[in-house]
Amino acid sequence: MTATIERPFPRADGPAKATGQADYTGDLTAPGMAHGRFLVAGRAHARIRRLDVTAARTRPGVFAVITAADVPDRLYASSGFVADRPLFARNVVRYEGEVVAAVAAATPEAADAALRAIEIEYEDLPLVLDVERALQPGSPLVHENWAGYEKDGEIVAEGNMAARSTIVKGDATAALGAADVVVRERYVADMIHPVPIEPHAILAEWSGDRVTIHSSSQVPFAARTMVAETLEIPQHRVRVVVSHLGGGFGGKCDFHYEAHVAALARAARRPVRVVFTRREEFTMPDKVGHGMVVDLETGLSSDGRIVARRGRILLDCGAYAADSPVLGQIACMEAVGPYRIPHVDLDARLVYTNRVPSGSVRAPTGPQTCWAVEGHTDELAARVGLDPVEFRRRNLVTAGDEGPTRQLFEPNGALRALDEAARRIGWGSPLPAGESIGIAAGWWFSMPSASGAFVRIDADGRGRIVTGAQENGTGAVMALAMLAGDELGMAPEDFAIVYQDTDAGPYDTGSAGSQTTFNAGRAVVEAAREVRTKVIAAAAEMLEAAHADLELRDGAISVVGSPDRRVTIGAVATQVQDDGGLLLGAGSGTAPTKPEHDASACVGRLGFEAFASPTFFCQAARVKVDRATGVVRVLEVAAVNDIGRVLNPRGAAGQITGGVVQAIGTALTEGTVYGADGRQRNAALLDYKLPTAADAPTIDVGFIEAPAANGGPYGAKGVGEPPIVPTAGAIGNAIAAATGARVRRLPMTPERVWRAMREGSDGAADPGGPLAPAAASAGEPASGGAVPVGASAGNRR
Amino acid sequence: MAEPLQLTVDRQAYAVEVDPHRTLLRLLRDDLGITGPKEGCDDSECGACMVLVDDMPVNACSYLALQADGRTVTTVEGLGTAESLHPLQRAFLDAGGVQCGFCTPGMLISAAALLRSDPDPSEEAVRDALAGNLCRCTGYQPIFAAVHRAAAELRGEPAPTG
Repeated sequence: MTATIERPFPRADGPAKATGQADYTGDLTAPGMAHGRFLVAGRAHARIRRLDVTAARTRPGVFAVITAADVPDRLYASSGFVADRPLFARNVVRYEGEVVAAVAAATPEAADAALRAIEIEYEDLPLVLDVERALQPGSPLVHENWAGYEKDGEIVAEGNMAARSTIVKGDATAALGAADVVVRERYVADMIHPVPIEPHAILAEWSGDRVTIHSSSQVPFAARTMVAETLEIPQHRVRVVVSHLGGGFGGKCDFHYEAHVAALARAARRPVRVVFTRREEFTMPDKVGHGMVVDLETGLSSDGRIVARRGRILLDCGAYAADSPVLGQIACMEAVGPYRIPHVDLDARLVYTNRVPSGSVRAPTGPQTCWAVEGHTDELAARVGLDPVEFRRRNLVTAGDEGPTRQLFEPNGALRALDEAARRIGWGSPLPAGESIGIAAGWWFSMPSASGAFVRIDADGRGRIVTGAQENGTGAVMALAMLAGDELGMAPEDFAIVYQDTDAGPYDTGSAGSQTTFNAGRAVVEAAREVRTKVIAAAAEMLEAAHADLELRDGAISVVGSPDRRVTIGAVATQVQDDGGLLLGAGSGTAPTKPEHDASACVGRLGFEAFASPTFFCQAARVKVDRATGVVRVLEVAAVNDIGRVLNPRGAAGQITGGVVQAIGTALTEGTVYGADGRQRNAALLDYKLPTAADAPTIDVGFIEAPAANGGPYGAKGVGEPPIVPTAGAIGNAIAAATGARVRRLPMTPERVWRAMREGSDGAADPGGPLAPAAASAGEPASGGAVPVGASAGNRR
Repeated sequence: MAEPLQLTVDRQAYAVEVDPHRTLLRLLRDDLGITGPKEGCDDSECGACMVLVDDMPVNACSYLALQADGRTVTTVEGLGTAESLHPLQRAFLDAGGVQCGFCTPGMLISAAALLRSDPDPSEEAVRDALAGNLCRCTGYQPIFAAVHRAAAELRGEPAPTG
């Protein structure tokens, strides 16, 4: 590692984006292109009695109208977990945004007119909207045929319970019984939306039996796989290309509507483009953050050490499982938190409802669970009379401690992040009247997965990186040039990057799981090292020097100590080409392994029983609460992160400032509001309120560098998701510090804060009694929906 | 029935016929092929479509094309070019104010309108001026820094530190 990393560099896609020249998928057109529109159910649960598209098909300007009858009759599992979903509704619609039909027409107006001409009759079915009632015997089922679905062998399902995951270690029952203090609480979080500013857009065009799909996808390879599977065409005939992507935050992970538009273009015999409206963006894509119910019961010793934790977590899955079956397991790990807890018994159940499907939105389950755990942590500290920072200091993990499934932690920045965040926010210093401070700690995983890259140096001395990685805006793909440049003694600007095209790049998971630098970085480094070896071999001959005496710097190769004996990398590339070779390299590297652990007591083991290269972080928030209205203003956030080695400080800081502000929305204003009819009431940006420039706090970003021995390039860990995890917890603790009232509903809206202050209740019930131990049998729900609901908040033993 | 419309967009004069209900955004994007302004909500909520009509920033999605008759429209594409960036564009890139870039066209227009009316804006003025432009990536902080940096450059002063 030499000169280029850790310095700000100009992102290659910057000038095009700043001048309006960068094309996003919705900016693309094709000759003869038709405009596609979807007919959605508009009701949350109903049987389709009659569907007739004859009249719509004969309207002027309409090229095609397709329904379930026009695509293969099969159910798909978008992330490989549960095959529970058809492309177009067959017989039953299970949420308001479910696609019933699609239209392609010459103009958007003609397409809308054709939608209105579709004749459809429904018979409404009983709604399943409450996750607790959904688990009770006799509840209506979202999926009548759940038992017959093909699913991953690890998945434990029953009725409306789409999946169950547990994280179990030791004997929580005995430890809670012996604890000096036990605190029980319930926290309830509303669904949240990712809300990229660019809505989904897809343009599909066929050429013979091959289809090219331009899609605003975070995961083009997954999209390609699913298009092939659902339309029953070979994968090699499907090409998915992503133009510039206008943000994702998980909302564009998974497979969405690529197959629908491909089928529509085939039927229309011309290219078809679909651009989502904002309302569709809210109500259709199967990617919202889970509504959650988190019951926590924690035992302490009198000196403030956590001895045991039991947790019962319900996740609102929505109508289809998508990638949610794995997320309950992550919620369990998050519910333990970055704490040393000898006995844990966490149980998460994923519950089908007639809502928009949930999935892996940025740090899935993290913000909600961390908010609950960190509020709980402050309550624990108060019970033993400890300052919140001191309480955390006594319980945070350090090197050599055991995780929830006995993974051993290597040296990490958890404690230092706590102290640094406290220092930066001025913990303990006097505050102006009406202001208060809260603090929250958390942890998250890095995600090892396959990725590949090709690197080449052309005769003009310019480099080119071909990667399968997906740039969602973070700059992670742009930063690959920095890693290649570092290996080859070149500047990041010397490289062009070919990315997000499944025909060009090798497989990559996509911009998901904070994994781009972690995995694609490793692949690029390996590919660049292959090139480097070839460069050194050729330069050694040209300079008549030994390999070991050469250094690569500033675009040239020179003999150490003899700067005049030097050739440019372009001259080397030219010489190699003249000799009949080329400077090419390919890499995929070897993915880091997960730490050793013991998950033998857990069920629903789908890959997150242990956290690989875990990141640790702490945020402290200074807020001002208007006691008359309950309005909370976040003034300052100190965000300190151990993301391992920091390779790209500007990019990493951008992830943190962006994550903090997104999380302020999660904390205070963002939450899906549903009517009793199962339809979203706030599917617009004036009603579902994102933080604006006027709301943004001052954000003080800090890094604790604790490189991971078994991590990404140079010891890097993932950075995209962690910053969003602890913010709501810090804000909730600051609100409690200011008001003396604990708000146990997320978002902590002015009404909920006001109610908590005035009435001692924010409307959330608490568990009321001890949580039931996990059932011994893997298939049986731990508490059978029988978590008792008490009348008052904060009821403690 | 289509109506005649004359306007100047990014220093180019146009004479077109448009339906009275056609928005300025549809005219720009679909008829004139100027896709710099983005559509994020079609309801004046996100600000991605913002353009200057004369010196006034408007959400082009909610502004009728015919209202721009005889006026001068400036989109992000008219601020500067990749070879010759406007100081705001350069400052956005230097400060990390561009991530996914989808809000950038509207954000730049709001910032340009601010600096035309207030060459030395306070922090509060910058926040207010940009409050109609949603950004989901950056947390706004790098954008605030970029606006102050560009303002200093346009005033002929050294860039503020920090």
